[in-house]
Amino acid sequence: MGKYIYLLALLISFSGWAQIDLCTSELDTYPTRSGGRVKPLYVLATETIKFISGESKIGDLSATEGFCKLSLKAFGMPLELPIKIKVEHVEAKKLLGLSDQDQGVSVTDMANKIGLVDTELAKQKENNSYKKELTKIKQRWQAYISIIEARLWTIPVSKNGKTEFISLGEFLTEDKVAIAREKSSTPVNYLFQEAKDDYLKLNGDHYLLELRYFKLNLFVWGLLISILGILCFVAFKNKWPGTILTITTIAVQVVAMTMRVMISGRAPVTNMYETVMFSGLGALVISCIITIYRKEIIFVLAGLAFNVLSLMMLKFANSMLDPGISPLVPVLRDNFWLSTHVTTVILSYAALALSWLLANGLLIRDRFFQVSSSDYRYGVDLVYTCIKFGVILLATGIILGGVWADYSWGRFWGWDPKETWSLIVLLVYMAILHGKYTSWIPPHRFVPLVAGAFMSVMMAWFGVNYILASGLHSYGFSEGGAIFLGTFFVIQIAIIALGVIGRKKIA
Amino acid sequence: MEALNRAYRKVELFFGNLKFAVSIITIFAVFLGYGTFMESYHGTEYANRLIYKSFPFMLVQFCMFLSILFATLIRLPPKKHLYGFYVIHAGLIILFLGSFVTYQSGIDGNMTLAPNIGSRQIQLNQDEFKIQFPSKGKEASVELPYSAGPKEMNLEYEGIKLKTFLPFAKNDLHWIPTKIEDASQSSSHYRIYNDNFGEFFTLSLHPLSDFTNTQQLGPLNVHYMPSTLYQCFIQNTKDGLIIWNGETSECFSPNETEIKKSKNISGKTIAQIQFLGQTLSFLPEMSPLPLDHKSDLNENSPFRIFSKKLFEKSPHLFLFGKSAAFFNKEKQDWEGVPIEINGEAELPWMGFRVRLLNHHTDSYPTMTPTYIKPIQENSQVIEGDLKAVEVEVNDQTFWVRSGEPVAFNLSDEKIRFEITKKTITLPYEIVLDRFKMDTDPGTNNPASFESFVTLFKGNKGSEKHHIFMNHPLKFDSFTFYQASYFQTPQGPYGSVLSVNYDPGRPWKYLGCLFLVLGSIWHYFLRRKHLAKPGATHG
Repeated sequence: MGKYIYLLALLISFSGWAQIDLCTSELDTYPTRSGGRVKPLYVLATETIKFISGESKIGDLSATEGFCKLSLKAFGMPLELPIKIKVEHVEAKKLLGLSDQDQGVSVTDMANKIGLVDTELAKQKENNSYKKELTKIKQRWQAYISIIEARLWTIPVSKNGKTEFISLGEFLTEDKVAIAREKSSTPVNYLFQEAKDDYLKLNGDHYLLELRYFKLNLFVWGLLISILGILCFVAFKNKWPGTILTITTIAVQVVAMTMRVMISGRAPVTNMYETVMFSGLGALVISCIITIYRKEIIFVLAGLAFNVLSLMMLKFANSMLDPGISPLVPVLRDNFWLSTHVTTVILSYAALALSWLLANGLLIRDRFFQVSSSDYRYGVDLVYTCIKFGVILLATGIILGGVWADYSWGRFWGWDPKETWSLIVLLVYMAILHGKYTSWIPPHRFVPLVAGAFMSVMMAWFGVNYILASGLHSYGFSEGGAIFLGTFFVIQIAIIALGVIGRKKIA
Repeated sequence: MEALNRAYRKVELFFGNLKFAVSIITIFAVFLGYGTFMESYHGTEYANRLIYKSFPFMLVQFCMFLSILFATLIRLPPKKHLYGFYVIHAGLIILFLGSFVTYQSGIDGNMTLAPNIGSRQIQLNQDEFKIQFPSKGKEASVELPYSAGPKEMNLEYEGIKLKTFLPFAKNDLHWIPTKIEDASQSSSHYRIYNDNFGEFFTLSLHPLSDFTNTQQLGPLNVHYMPSTLYQCFIQNTKDGLIIWNGETSECFSPNETEIKKSKNISGKTIAQIQFLGQTLSFLPEMSPLPLDHKSDLNENSPFRIFSKKLFEKSPHLFLFGKSAAFFNKEKQDWEGVPIEINGEAELPWMGFRVRLLNHHTDSYPTMTPTYIKPIQENSQVIEGDLKAVEVEVNDQTFWVRSGEPVAFNLSDEKIRFEITKKTITLPYEIVLDRFKMDTDPGTNNPASFESFVTLFKGNKGSEKHHIFMNHPLKFDSFTFYQASYFQTPQGPYGSVLSVNYDPGRPWKYLGCLFLVLGSIWHYFLRRKHLAKPGATHG
């Protein structure tokens, strides 16, 4: 009862809020702490609203404005915002009385149906996709509740020269507002500004780099420049425009990645989002090195193409690849090993991705166009060059992983699914490379085998996380993605089948 | 000699052949792929037992070794363009040898450190079965088979037979027949459910059963009683008293007129009731026991008195095998319902129903370990993490389960059986002075685990050490790594260190170095590649 009287008193004392718009985009730059990290409110609001509703806005309001207004509900502000709890699974939609076209359930309905979700969740014996979706819906609802109870938004408070973070509910006390009212006609804004100024005085504005990072959208720029680069290489005989655009996209992505490294304080390879991000740039850089080494522009084209694919995944596959930056689990908090082992393995995947693109290209060209025997053999040699890079990098990466495991866990090798699959990838390519010297794998079998071998890379890279999901490497695990992987396998097998069946004999 | 040379040449050609290499690499990869799926579905230990530490897998690895070895030998004497190839293959051979040394002589285990208690024990991953004779101070142990499936052991030691070992098991319900049929020792299997919840449970009155006669299901208390008591429960009397003869399971619900009430000198109510020709005196407000002729509580008496009123405030369900009784608050009345096998009764709480699935008076239920492939979910084995050994002593067969030592009396001698982990004892001691766990600010997510330990080296004094993630303690060829932690019942945290001794380590590092350098040499220092058709390669 006391709590309600307190909230009512606050409501009366904040009656000016209806006129003064507290929830503006100015709040974007305010520091808050969530998930163990200090970040701009913009990042917390965007991540949370996206997690809850799958949208980056609430109606016409930006994520920050909407987040702020929802938080004020805790103080009795009578606000109804058009936010919905995201529901994806067909069965879950049925449970909540939604049609197949509905993307979410209104928070008013959800309040009445959360008991139903709880009951349904308790009934589930198997850890299937339906159970996972119900768990997600519950988490989304809990995130929403933590906003409207003013718990999620934390405000910095200076105490004995140190900064502590307290929830908005604890921060905005009647006494504090009453004192602030004597100093300013907008007491709440005044208190927020004071908290921000105190934080900046003690800790500086390093956290604002994250705001710049997210607002600049450098990876989207990188994607556009890469597409332009491909077009220039294809359209113009002169290679300079394409080369300049390639260098530009590398520069843009290096800046973006450096910003991310500065924000997180670690190598950009600690979750699926970052490995995809790093692989695109890695493939492009490796392709440039091989181009210099082999003087063959097709490598850069393959590098740009893979870069476009990975950047498109970053942009459009957010339900599979979470762009958020989170603190690392203890075992990964050793930057030297993280920087060497994982980056080497991802670079090897990038190099093998180049061989995959070139092999598929050759397979399709050979199937639908006339490819001479010498051209085909030359194409095989280009594919082989990429595999050489990939295999050496992969062997080195696996060994570095072993050294790290020995250093951290006391054993060089533990048959963990991630490390075992990286070994399987190496074995698959080694079998192909050895077989290349036998009558078993002549050039016309080498190409489809290399195209297919990349499925082992995808299994090691995505499959372990999305399909197997166990073992010591479970720190990098994400939900979903099995459909993506399944689709990839089906398409790849179809391309191989198409390339192999009805293949014309090379002259 | 000629024949020997020819035979060797054949072996060399077979194992050193590239096609053999391709085949064995492919088989190895298939094994590994299968292993990862097994690990994902059934856990690390199952995958290790089934694949990674199995004989067929070892054989494949040995064939890989032979392939690498003979592929190198067949290409001798050295040729300049194969220098990289030799280095790679030498690296692989060294790597294999190093791994073999580790497999043969390495030690990999855990040390559990409770706060401020010294430990010298390293617990290994190998299971063993221990037989102890405390009176003789004698102990014997046998290493349990490292198999993925059930294994016949057929071992005998001083009249004790070890029959079967189950590396992965779950307790399954089994009904053991009794020699005589006895309704007072009945057992039943039920299911209670409503639209949102359902649970199976078994209750038994048999003294040898693993099941008890009570069960708590959330707020509901379930009691299992002999069927003869049913009538007394559904009979409504003013006092709601039931008198019960535990020996014969006969009961009596006295009416008010049948109870003589008086007060004793301390003012307590004494109830006198005629039951089976005897006069029984009780202090029903104090105890269910009757009074003897000295007016003391008689613990040896088979008679008990209890009041049904005690079970009217909260939900209590009384089951009597094929019938049930409960207090219906709405009707303010005790109700009884007969239940046939596979029939059910409606209960007065939240739409619950109880269904009788099985009822026996000639057998009793026990939990018997049954082999199961373990089931893993979210990186945790949720079913099948039990190990069990079937033991036969004096024609009596029973199971010893992991984590549950069994004491057996054999003609005045006590024998203790236990499934445990093999241990080795270090000549020095480690004491955990303090365990520290930091969390990410504002969360409960661990950011670091740290153990502050003292290493007591016998006569050589002691040393303080700080062990944390990626910063192990190295001492006496052993390395101690921070692996895990646990909370003691008293509150403070204990620490689990992973302990490792790996004599193959230098070989493995050397092999890896050769492998990487050899690969670079082989693939990049021989810069021979095809020229673009139509272009002059230069």
